[in-house]
Amino acid sequence: MAPPEMRDLARRLLTCEDLAGNTSEPIESATLRVYEKLRQSLSVFAGSAGFQSLASRALALARSEAPSLSAARVSADGSLQGLGEFEPQIDIDKVGAGEYPAGEGGIILIARLLGLLLIFLGETLTLNLLRNAWPGASLDDLNPGNRRKV
Amino acid sequence: MSTQDRVTINKLPTGVPGLDEIVGGGLPEFSFNIIAGAPGSGKTTLAHQFVFANATPERPALYFTVLGESAIKMLRYQQQYTFFDPAKLPDSIRFINLSQVVLEQDLGAVLREITDEVEKANPAVVVVDSFRTMVRKPQSDMELQSFIQRLALFLASWQATTFLIGEYAEDELRDNPIFTVADGLFWLRQTPERNSIVRKLQIIKLRGQDSVPGLHTFRITDAGVQAFSRTFGLTGHLKDPPSHRRLCFGIPELDKMLGGGVREGDSVLVAGSSGTGKSVLATQFIAEGIRQGEPGIVAVFEERPQAYAERASTLGLDLDTPQKDGNLTILYLRPLDLSVDETMHSILDAVQKIGAKRLVIDSLAGFEMALSPGFRADFRESLYRMIFALTGIGVTILSTVEVDESFTEFPFSTYSISFLTDDIIRLRYVSIDGQLRKIMVVIKMRGGNHAKDIREYEITSKGVVILGKRLTNYQGLISGIPRHSNRSEPQEEPAEEPRIGSKT
Repeated sequence: MAPPEMRDLARRLLTCEDLAGNTSEPIESATLRVYEKLRQSLSVFAGSAGFQSLASRALALARSEAPSLSAARVSADGSLQGLGEFEPQIDIDKVGAGEYPAGEGGIILIARLLGLLLIFLGETLTLNLLRNAWPGASLDDLNPGNRRKV
Repeated sequence: MSTQDRVTINKLPTGVPGLDEIVGGGLPEFSFNIIAGAPGSGKTTLAHQFVFANATPERPALYFTVLGESAIKMLRYQQQYTFFDPAKLPDSIRFINLSQVVLEQDLGAVLREITDEVEKANPAVVVVDSFRTMVRKPQSDMELQSFIQRLALFLASWQATTFLIGEYAEDELRDNPIFTVADGLFWLRQTPERNSIVRKLQIIKLRGQDSVPGLHTFRITDAGVQAFSRTFGLTGHLKDPPSHRRLCFGIPELDKMLGGGVREGDSVLVAGSSGTGKSVLATQFIAEGIRQGEPGIVAVFEERPQAYAERASTLGLDLDTPQKDGNLTILYLRPLDLSVDETMHSILDAVQKIGAKRLVIDSLAGFEMALSPGFRADFRESLYRMIFALTGIGVTILSTVEVDESFTEFPFSTYSISFLTDDIIRLRYVSIDGQLRKIMVVIKMRGGNHAKDIREYEITSKGVVILGKRLTNYQGLISGIPRHSNRSEPQEEPAEEPRIGSKT
């Protein structure tokens, strides 16, 4: 299972993107927007192939926890296909209350991806990378007790 | 052109301990450099150290990766080094992967990609790792040469100091255009020497400033690459003027034999076979120095510092207190795969740290054994460099050396190094009146006159004690089998007089 702190971090990134999506960004799944930001950010230094490998692994791990991801796939350039049909928008109220059935697959996928980054790069570099992709977000560390709200 | 009319080339810190000295004070700013070597030779680590030492948010470093080691894995491994500061990523250090453009497009597109990123970031440092894989696709020589030329021109114009990393073979040096264009060429090698691995670094060329020629050993530790200059970091240090001070052993009769002691800054060799008291004499030399307010270093190879200090205490010499007070360092140098340069680095560090005036190397045989087999072949040359460097900064060195006793020769050393030493004290066993006794003689003192006496001595609980007057009643003492000079006794066939110093 994706570790709780990774799920928590993923949920906060999704919330952050969902809030942004409600204002100016095009309407699409928050999961896809988080995923796309991670893809762009990671592909710069790891290359498309590097990101594609990590994302495929994350998706394989996530599928075992979220059957709704069975139709999703990572294309050769690392983009995520087939997720939108099965992943409706997150209900912010439910996410805030700790329930996220509608976006659960997306949260798990992002949590798995973040978990892999943590394994390979460690906490400091992972957080640096996320801060770069979400400059407005407050990401102090991965310990929920020490964290401010996104 | 006068010095003041010349353009000043700034020197950037390499971030590699010891390397600044080798490259002549730092890497020339805006230079276009190659780091070449086989896989695993430390190229990427060296480049990372340079990047971390120089990148700032205002003038960041761009690190282009191409097809080689995965960037994620590279960061995973590199962050294990102590120089790796994760806070520098991504503001000061940015990793950019060029694999796709290299795979799918031509060199023109690769150049455009690099120039776009450089123009956006205004970097102080640019690294391409690995450049070799970037240009591996089939292309004409002219196309390749043009690409390298344009890349070098562009990066220099944009005031970037560049490292291109590549797995090159040495036979490519002549024909590959990259080596012609490069301002600096760093070649890293690692070669097996019996069961040890020896790493060596060579600055094959460096435009604009003098680098220290030759092969310099280096080691990769958790702090990254550490280089050991062949000049031991003493380039530019003016040799101290000869001193007229004499350093005593604290053994009055021996000091008298030495004309008051050994001259400060001399290299002294104490030679003798096993059990003749070489280490005892060396310990007394160090202890007397400390008593005189001259801090000392003892480099031991055959026993641990604690054992050395305990043995000294049996002679009534307290080495624990001066160690605690910072007046004495007993260095135990890790055996089996050292280079002389590393040993020297440790000794020089200790010398500088406590301001040591006396150094004991106990023993040369142990020192030799502690070296990687590949360095043993150069032991004599290495000793020369080491002694020259240390005595040059005013340190007086006493080395002990074990020699095999012979009744036909009177060797001073098995290393043919007596020419490296200013003073030689020879200890040996002699058979006298049915006893195996010990004699001592000062063979040479470069700095002045010395006693020619052959003196008998004993090792007591107070150390070496010279007995009575010189031995006048014997002939052929240095043969080890002397004869009473009283001719009234029955004459025997005289033993052949040994050849003095026949193995010097």
